[in-house]
Amino acid sequence: MRVLTALCLSMAAATTMRGQVPTTPRDSAARAKAKADSIARADSIALVRELEKLQGARPDTTSRVTGAQGPTNPRLLPDFSAVGDFVADLSPKGSTQEDGTRIGVREVELAVQAAVDPYFRGDVFLGISDEEGISIEQAFLTTTALPHELELKIGRFLMPVGKQNTTHRHDLHTVEYPYVIQKFFGPEGQKGTGLWLSRVFAPFGFYQEIQLTMIDRIAEKNDSLETGVAVNRTLGGLGYSARLRNYWDLNESTNLEVSAWGLTGVREEPTLTAVGNINALNARQTTGGLDFTFRWRPLQQGLYKSFILQSEWMKQSTRSVSGFIPGPLCRDMCPPVAIPVFVATERTNYGGGYVFARYQITQRGFIGARYDQVQDPEFAGGTTHAGSAYLEFFPSEFSKITAMYERYAPPAGIDINRILLQATFALGPHKPHPF
Amino acid sequence: MFRKLSLLIASLALGGLAASPAGAQLKVVTSTTDLYDIAKAVGGNRITARHIGEGYQDPHFIEAKPSFVLQLRNADVWAFVGLDLEIGWMPLLLDGARNPRIRQGGSGYLDVSRAIPLLDVPRGNVDRSQGDVHPLGNPHYWLDPENGRRIARLFEAKFTELDPEGAAVYDANEKNFEARLNAVERTWADELGKIKGQPIVAWHTSWRYFAEYTKVNIVGFMEPKPGVPPSPAHLAGLIQTMKRTGAKVIVMEPFYDRKQADFVAAHTGAKVLILPPSVGGLKGVGDYLSVMDYDVKQLAAAL
Repeated sequence: MRVLTALCLSMAAATTMRGQVPTTPRDSAARAKAKADSIARADSIALVRELEKLQGARPDTTSRVTGAQGPTNPRLLPDFSAVGDFVADLSPKGSTQEDGTRIGVREVELAVQAAVDPYFRGDVFLGISDEEGISIEQAFLTTTALPHELELKIGRFLMPVGKQNTTHRHDLHTVEYPYVIQKFFGPEGQKGTGLWLSRVFAPFGFYQEIQLTMIDRIAEKNDSLETGVAVNRTLGGLGYSARLRNYWDLNESTNLEVSAWGLTGVREEPTLTAVGNINALNARQTTGGLDFTFRWRPLQQGLYKSFILQSEWMKQSTRSVSGFIPGPLCRDMCPPVAIPVFVATERTNYGGGYVFARYQITQRGFIGARYDQVQDPEFAGGTTHAGSAYLEFFPSEFSKITAMYERYAPPAGIDINRILLQATFALGPHKPHPF
Repeated sequence: MFRKLSLLIASLALGGLAASPAGAQLKVVTSTTDLYDIAKAVGGNRITARHIGEGYQDPHFIEAKPSFVLQLRNADVWAFVGLDLEIGWMPLLLDGARNPRIRQGGSGYLDVSRAIPLLDVPRGNVDRSQGDVHPLGNPHYWLDPENGRRIARLFEAKFTELDPEGAAVYDANEKNFEARLNAVERTWADELGKIKGQPIVAWHTSWRYFAEYTKVNIVGFMEPKPGVPPSPAHLAGLIQTMKRTGAKVIVMEPFYDRKQADFVAAHTGAKVLILPPSVGGLKGVGDYLSVMDYDVKQLAAAL
């Protein structure tokens, strides 16, 4: 111990002695340069103050408060916000909501957002609903300091498959996602848990962004389906997606966005019959699509006038399951056991899309319409059509009331008239949603 | 090889979008045209400058277009008004740009408001029942020439910090800007004398700093609360206020719908005066000095 102490003392003394060595002119110059650099990097505000003193700036005679008063959030609290989403279903033939309510709280979303450290930002969105309880809607870290204009997200997020899927449901211009998204991915769209890597580039002079994801699975786990082997047992069973965004300013008031994307992964597909507790097969599902958005908003009258025309079309291919035969024909998607197993015998290819338009009629009022067409997987590819009209009113930026009328025509059965009213509000510093 | 080719194509393409002056060293992007103009005045040929918003556009409601991301991704300086004026779109652009230099904490993140003595900093509890209130203070500070000087000095300090070799140029340009502003200001003596104490109505609180400078007396606002459109009941009360105070001018920005202002004017005999709040707000008002000069002279002429 004494030896260690002596060693430390001698090192400290040596350091001090080095500090006392007479400086050479070169050292002095280097130190002077460093000092000058540090002065140059000094806080801009301090420099402004100094300049104001030197130049005899006009003294303030009003009760003004100078901006540089210190941090506005000294406890480094994250931003907390909440969004309420209420839906009333006034459809003449009964409620068309999943939970059968006529008037219900569809969801309350709680968000916590902040910078984590100099390298990451964190965003957590919790969804609360009577039907699902509390669920993690999104929770991800986003890098803020990667080079080469790269951005990496780690966590759960809305997947970049098409345009509307990346928008929270309560923030849609319509009450519900387009049917093609609902039928192919579920009523709350496609989410994924994994990695999201994106890069912005402009080799041709316009904005382009490539978005790549790798996620744990492409469909939520359905506890009633048992395949005997996890969909993500191999890396090939994970979900992978790619999207290329292209954006052009046509002029200062109009712009165009065209994107193409693809998603592939493995999901459980129910079989017609079961063997033991095996009642489903892991089946590869691949979806691809194109989306197109045209926007018009004259800059000077932008508070009062705007127009959006948007369309998305996608195709989904899934192995369908029609029976079971012995294992040797089953290949890699089946349980690694020597029992009769189910097998995919054919492939389904379903497609669908929508066209949506929205026109601003007043500072707070919008009208919109959407036409949907989708080959419905629930009806073996039979085509569902729907036409809907919307009236949106924004009392402020933080609240919205939407009225919707829809004529819904499923492939089987009679057409349905739907009338929905939606009210949403946002509390707190809810972060703006992507353009 | 492919990488070099891509870089060549990218530089050619971007070169077509923004012709950089020879010798430019700092890439400056500003949120408004006013900051852009003052930055150009101070930076001269040592910077390239671009702006996101236009002068005839409401700066609260700018769309976060991806094309703006391209401007920001290589920027050395991002200068913005602050005080939550850009809260609705700036976070999207900064996230999209993936440029650590201009993120909060980066060397190029320049919140101009931090050099400004502020008006309308709320006291006590603040919530959205008060409208689009700015909890940190009124952000429309550039409409006071003294704040124009402060902005110029702040740019000089920031540019010097990032480009020490240009210190002398920035210093000279800043002094020149102040000298030109002083010269214009000296021509307003008659107008300011005429304006002082006169009652007017403004559409939005954006004219508070201008009023502090000119000593014009804003007796009411077209908006019942910041950002809230006029209601019939509010306009009825405002008409009474104008009759009582003798206000004869309604000042408004070019991006608001003037129908309601015309309605109030018709019931009070007042004049609706559209003034540019920013550089480029009206044709022919192409720099900061012109904005201030135009606004002071037009208001004086209208009173």
